[in-house]
Amino acid sequence: MKFFRSFVGYCIAGMIVMAVWSQLGSYGIFGGYLAAIIIIGPMWYMNHYINLTGNEDDAAFVDMGLAIAVCGIMRDTFIQGGDAFSTSLPTILLVGCGATLGGITAAFIEKDMAKKKEFVNENPREPGLRRSDFEKLKEAKEKILRAKKIKIFQKKSSI
Amino acid sequence: MTIQLAIATLIGGFIFPFVIRMAWGRMVDNWGPIGGWMAAAFIVGTVWCINHGIATPMITQSGTVWVDQGLAAGVGVWVASALTGGSKRKSVKNIVAAVSAGIVGGYVLSLFLVS
Repeated sequence: MKFFRSFVGYCIAGMIVMAVWSQLGSYGIFGGYLAAIIIIGPMWYMNHYINLTGNEDDAAFVDMGLAIAVCGIMRDTFIQGGDAFSTSLPTILLVGCGATLGGITAAFIEKDMAKKKEFVNENPREPGLRRSDFEKLKEAKEKILRAKKIKIFQKKSSI
Repeated sequence: MTIQLAIATLIGGFIFPFVIRMAWGRMVDNWGPIGGWMAAAFIVGTVWCINHGIATPMITQSGTVWVDQGLAAGVGVWVASALTGGSKRKSVKNIVAAVSAGIVGGYVLSLFLVS
């Protein structure tokens, strides 16, 4: 059941984006903005805000963008055949590498932000730093400091 | 694809998950669910402009199969989430669901989008 509801959520998002966006996008920049508002808005609300896709709070976040991209790649592969897929392989690899670098950089910067600020994120289901991540980062930092025998994290009597 | 275009494609893939990770969650914190619509319009829409919308887009399509910036979002947000303490093993179910949903959805689209 859990797999089924994730599957349906991802599948609907992928199909709507890949069928409608390319035609709205042909109207230029503002067609793209319109497509982002009328497609990504509701699909995000359904898949991630209501959490139809069932991303767990302590699991790595799987965005619906993955399903959308696979849907677009497979749409053209089914229409044009496997040879067309291999011509696009360089773009797929480069975008994947760039995304991995972007994710690593974002995580690095978020860890740096967590050192200084109080945590303010109240909703755990968004793509972004979550409370559980914050607690884990804090624990890890405490452990390092304890290993170095620095007493900074003395507990306050009342919080 | 030349080396210049390859570098641009790499950086195009970098930008999207980075901006999502930095801003999307905070927008929802500040404005509630409407923040999600704002993020959809002004993160996805704006980054779409540079990656796909302009005349010579940042993500160069080397072949005839459409590679969407959503691939960058899926991969990058997952990597960042895994590095900040998310369990990789628990997310396998969702990854399998997303990939199989994409394949089935692509097949369904190929039934009626034949030009």
